[in-house]
Amino acid sequence: MRESADDPLIARVAEELRRPVAVRPGFDERVMAAVRRPVDHLPVRAWTWLREPRTLAVSPLGGLAMAAGLAALLVVGTWRPGSETGPSGALGDAPAGAAQAASADAASLVTFVLLEPRAGAVTLAGDFNGWDAARTPLRRESSGIWTIDVPLRPGRYRYAFVVDGRRFVADPAAPRAVGDDFGQPTSVVTVGGAARAAGGLL
Amino acid sequence: MNVRLLMVAAALGALAPPAAARAQTERLAGRVEARTRAAVEALVDSARAAGLPGGPLVNKALEGASKGADGARIVAAVRTLSRNLARARSALGSASAEAELVAGAAALQAGVEASFLELLRAERRREPVVVSLAVMADLVANGVPPDTAAQAVLALARVGTREAELVAFRQSVERDVALGAPAGAAASLRLNEGARQAFVDQANTFAPANRTPRKP
Amino acid sequence: MTQGDSDATLVGRVLGGDVDAFGGLVARHRERGMRFAAAMLGDAADAEEALQDAFVRAYRSLRTCREPARFDAWFMRILVNRCRTRGAMRGRAARLFVSDESAVERAAARPGGDPDWREEIDRALARLDAMQREAFVLKHVEGLEYEEMARLTGARVPALKMRVKRACDRLRVLLREVDDARIR
Repeated sequence: MRESADDPLIARVAEELRRPVAVRPGFDERVMAAVRRPVDHLPVRAWTWLREPRTLAVSPLGGLAMAAGLAALLVVGTWRPGSETGPSGALGDAPAGAAQAASADAASLVTFVLLEPRAGAVTLAGDFNGWDAARTPLRRESSGIWTIDVPLRPGRYRYAFVVDGRRFVADPAAPRAVGDDFGQPTSVVTVGGAARAAGGLL
Repeated sequence: MNVRLLMVAAALGALAPPAAARAQTERLAGRVEARTRAAVEALVDSARAAGLPGGPLVNKALEGASKGADGARIVAAVRTLSRNLARARSALGSASAEAELVAGAAALQAGVEASFLELLRAERRREPVVVSLAVMADLVANGVPPDTAAQAVLALARVGTREAELVAFRQSVERDVALGAPAGAAASLRLNEGARQAFVDQANTFAPANRTPRKP
Repeated sequence: MTQGDSDATLVGRVLGGDVDAFGGLVARHRERGMRFAAAMLGDAADAEEALQDAFVRAYRSLRTCREPARFDAWFMRILVNRCRTRGAMRGRAARLFVSDESAVERAAARPGGDPDWREEIDRALARLDAMQREAFVLKHVEGLEYEEMARLTGARVPALKMRVKRACDRLRVLLREVDDARIR
């Protein structure tokens, strides 16, 4: 539009927007790695800092909670096909066929579930996705149950469900977070099995 | 937005933060206003200089941003967390993993005395304490008084309770509380007989000498 | 190695089985893609994810690229769609901005406040209708002609012209105060 092209304000806006925007180092490598990866059907985006997720280890109540449609499972170990000793546990301690995480990096799949029949959209915002309410949408199953599996490394994560892009909802089956929650309901999930670091904090 | 960051730093007359810290705080771009970001970055720098992880501080800022909190409140929350991470590190040792410090900070923020963290580390010398500390904090969130929560977890740790059982303990207390039991009583009653005796012994041993009321 | 090779050559090599050749296409189109995605989404992390996503999709559907010499336009169409999808997701999640004082006060508080100028622009763009924002960025940032924009977006030229005009009008309103404070 001739008029806009002559407008100095628009020109300045365009000039600013034309500046290059940096990508994080290793972008090309990440793309090529993704390109080479066989196509999978995980419902969740695999963050590059996680290794391949292990199978879910469910607490005895987990099944019950799932049936009720409300659960944030507390995962305390990871399953590994075959047996292996971890750095901290003797094999005898673990349930048959399972072991503690052999490395601190091993992620566990945590299932988040929320019963919200009238919602149009439910997402997760938390420490594991930069509190980005748009990044982790839940999948709607039958009759108002929303769910998603998220691979998480050992640690403690604050989170909340975000319903219809507006309303923060705590997980009814999970402990509440302590400290300032900025006035919004917030839950916590803890994933166990962490190996103790020798040093070198992030 | 790298150009923008350098210009902010120049405008503040400060040196640009080291590359690793900058990579962490880049996550704040577009999420918080520039003034808040600068303040959080300064806190992250100080924390890293003291050997503390910056990631949890950035997560806290992002949490506040996501919930529409104003900049001052975000900065205050980050500052509080930084303080509690430092206290956790002091109690748990400088070789602690980031996840341990985060869980420790949560326990401290819940009102658990730092001396309990030291004792827990001594009890679980070769094992990570993430879940133990988390259960402490979660019990408090369920209404269990901080001292009771800490003593219960310590008692369980002393008898070699595994992580899964600590979690089950917390869930049992939660259920009892939901069914109407007073939280402190629920925590005490849920310990089995063997641990109960240890619990009674330790209740006499663990009471920290200097108990001043403190704000979490 | 792949520096001098044209897009058409690289596409041909990838389709022939040379996966690494795709890296050349990534390197060549990364900067422009990032500029567009960052302008559309207002967030570098989001933009990077959308861009990575677009590259992967481009690779998987490379066989459908009918004019390998015009890989850039074909890839742009994929990126436009990725940004639309992400933008729509964010719309539903209604990203909350940090509440703060007026833009004028903030701009005045910072001498030579260029670092915030981009942030102001991003905020203003975020408040545009998605189609208007897209048309504005394609026209004024990417410098495309309307005919090319029509091929890329599937919209007709008159509609695109109207979107650009409305976008400019709105940006003028949203940014005029800030700009005045800056210039001073």
